Amino acid sequence: MDSKAPDLAVRHLSVRYGEQVALSDVSLDLEGGQVLALIGPSGCGKSTFLRVLNRLVDRSLEVRYEGEVVLGGIRILDPDTDLVALRRAVGMVFQQPSAFPFSVFDNVAYGPRLQGIRSSHRLRSIVESSLKKAALWDEVRGKLRRPAASLSGGQQQRLCIARALAVAPRVLLLDEPTAALDPLSTTKIEELILSLRGDYTLILVTHNLQQAARISDVTAFFRQGLLVEIAPTREMFTAPKCAETEEFLTGRYE
Amino acid sequence: MKPVTGRPRGDHLLYRVVWLGALLLLMLGFAIAAILVWGTVKFVIDHGLNPSLLGTIYQPTHDQFGLLPFIAGSLVVTMIAIVVALPLALSVAVTVIATLPRQMQMIRQILSGLVAIPSVVFGWWGLSLLVPSIRWISGRPGFSLLAGGLVLAIMILPTLSLLSINALDRVSVRWVEGSLALGATPDQTLGRLILSVSRIPLLEASILAVGRALGETMAVQMVIGGRVLLPHGLLSPGATLTTQLLTDISLLPPGIPGHYVLDFMALLLLVAMYGMVVLVERTRRWSL
Ligand SMILES: Nc1ncnc2c1ncn2[C@@H]1O[C@H](COP(=O)(O)OP(=O)(O)OP(=O)(O)O)[C@@H](O)[C@H]1O
Ligand SMILES: [Mg+2]
Repeated sequence: MDSKAPDLAVRHLSVRYGEQVALSDVSLDLEGGQVLALIGPSGCGKSTFLRVLNRLVDRSLEVRYEGEVVLGGIRILDPDTDLVALRRAVGMVFQQPSAFPFSVFDNVAYGPRLQGIRSSHRLRSIVESSLKKAALWDEVRGKLRRPAASLSGGQQQRLCIARALAVAPRVLLLDEPTAALDPLSTTKIEELILSLRGDYTLILVTHNLQQAARISDVTAFFRQGLLVEIAPTREMFTAPKCAETEEFLTGRYE
Repeated sequence: MKPVTGRPRGDHLLYRVVWLGALLLLMLGFAIAAILVWGTVKFVIDHGLNPSLLGTIYQPTHDQFGLLPFIAGSLVVTMIAIVVALPLALSVAVTVIATLPRQMQMIRQILSGLVAIPSVVFGWWGLSLLVPSIRWISGRPGFSLLAGGLVLAIMILPTLSLLSINALDRVSVRWVEGSLALGATPDQTLGRLILSVSRIPLLEASILAVGRALGETMAVQMVIGGRVLLPHGLLSPGATLTTQLLTDISLLPPGIPGHYVLDFMALLLLVAMYGMVVLVERTRRWSL
C-alpha cells in the first residue's frame, strides 16, 4: 500500500457462520481518507464487516466467506494474504475497551515491539506521538508507568486508539468506540476521528445516528446482512432513497 | 397481612451449629500444631539443642539426629517434580486453549478424574515401570531420588495442568484479539500476552503443586529406596522428611529414646506447608 490512505472496494461479499448468514452479497466503494459510518439494527452484520477487513473473522468457528475485497490494491480475502502485514495496515478498536493489563506505556509500545523495535528512545517517541494523536497525552504524561486499568473508560478507549495508531496503520476500524462513554469522552473521540480523517481511511460502526451524521462522509445502512443503502451522509440523512432507511433514521423501525 | 414485629425465634440456631462446627475444626488444627510443638519441646528437654540436627548422620537411638539427608531429599524430589511437570502442564494447557477449545470441557473432566487417582497407584506405577527402567538404563538399583521425583511429577501433572488451563482460560478473548489485530503472530500473542498475563496465576499453581509434592509420602516411599545417608546424586537412593516419618513410626514408637525427633520433623513440614500457603496469598496480592 502506498502512503495515501487506501481506497476500499467490496464486491459481492457474503459471510456465513455455519448456517447463520451474517452478510449477503454486499458491494460498496469507499474513497481513501474518508469516514464511512455503518449503521443498522443489532445483529445486522456490522461487526462482521469490520472483522472481514482485518480477517479477524477467520477466528470464528465454521466461518465461510466469498466475494472480493480490495483494500489499497490488496485482495484481502485471498488465502495467501499475509495476515500480519494486513493487520499492521488495518488497525482496529473494539467496542469494549480492550487495553492489555499492562502499563499505559507497554500498551502503546506493544505493536512497535512486535516489529522488533527495541531502542527505548524510539519506543518513547512512538508512544508519545501516538498518545498525542489520540488526544490522550496531556492526561497521561508522567503516568505512563501506571496500569492501563487505572484510566477511565474514555481514556482507555483513547489508549486503544493510540495503541492502534502506534503501528502506523493506513485504515482504522472502530466498532462502536463510544458506546460505553459519557458525552465528554464521546466528543473527544469524535474530534479525534475528524482529525484523523484524510490521513486514514476510517470505518466506524455506531448506534448513535447523530454521531454518524456529525462525523462521517458516507453512511451505509445494513439490515439482516444486506446493504440496504449507501450514500453520502448528508444525502442519506436528508433524503434517503429507501423507505426502510427512512424508517430506521426516524426511529419508526421495529 | 400482619405487620412483621420482631424476629421469629430460633432464626440463628443453624448458624450457631455451623459456628460450633467451625470452632471445633479450628481447635483441632491448633491442637495438632500444639502437640507437635510440645513434642519438639520435649525433644529439646531430652537432648538439648542437639548440634547433630544440622549434621548428616541419622541414628536417633544413638543421639544422632542429622536431618539434612531428608531435607535435601525433600527439596531435590520436589524440585525434580516441578521442573518436569511444569513445562508438560503448560504444554497441555496451551494446546487445550489454543487448538482444542471445544474439547476443553471434556479434557477438564478427564484431568479431574486423574487428580482423583490415589497416590499409591502412582507409587505402584513407579515401582513397576520407572524403577526397572532407571535400573536398566543406569545399572544402579533404580530406587532413587530421580524415581521419587518423576513419580511425583506424574502425580502432580493432572492438578498442575488443570490449574494452568484455568489460568490461561482467564485471559480475555478481547486481549487476544487486540494483540492479533496489531499484527502479532499467534506465537507472539502466546509469549507476550497470554503467558505474560498469566504469570501470577501460573506461579500460584506451581506453589500449590510444590506443596502437594512436598507433602506426598506413600508414592515416594515406594520408589525412593529409604536410605538415610546424604544422597550423592539423583540416582542414589534416599529419603524425604515425609517418607522417613513413615518409616520411623514403627521403628521409633513413643517411649523409645529419640521418638520426639519425629515431632520435630512433622513440625518442620507443617511450617514449610504453611510457608507455601503464605506464599500463595502473597502472589495473589501481587496480582491485584
Ligand atoms: N462467531 C459467530 N458465530 C456464529 N454467529 C455469529 C458469530 N458472530 C456473529 N454471528 C451472527 O452473525 C450475525 C451478525 O453479527 P454481527 O456481530 O456482525 O452483528 P452487529 O451488526 O455487529 O450487531 P451489534 O450491533 O449487536 O454489535 C448475528 O446474527 C450474529 O448472531
Ligand atoms: Mg457489533
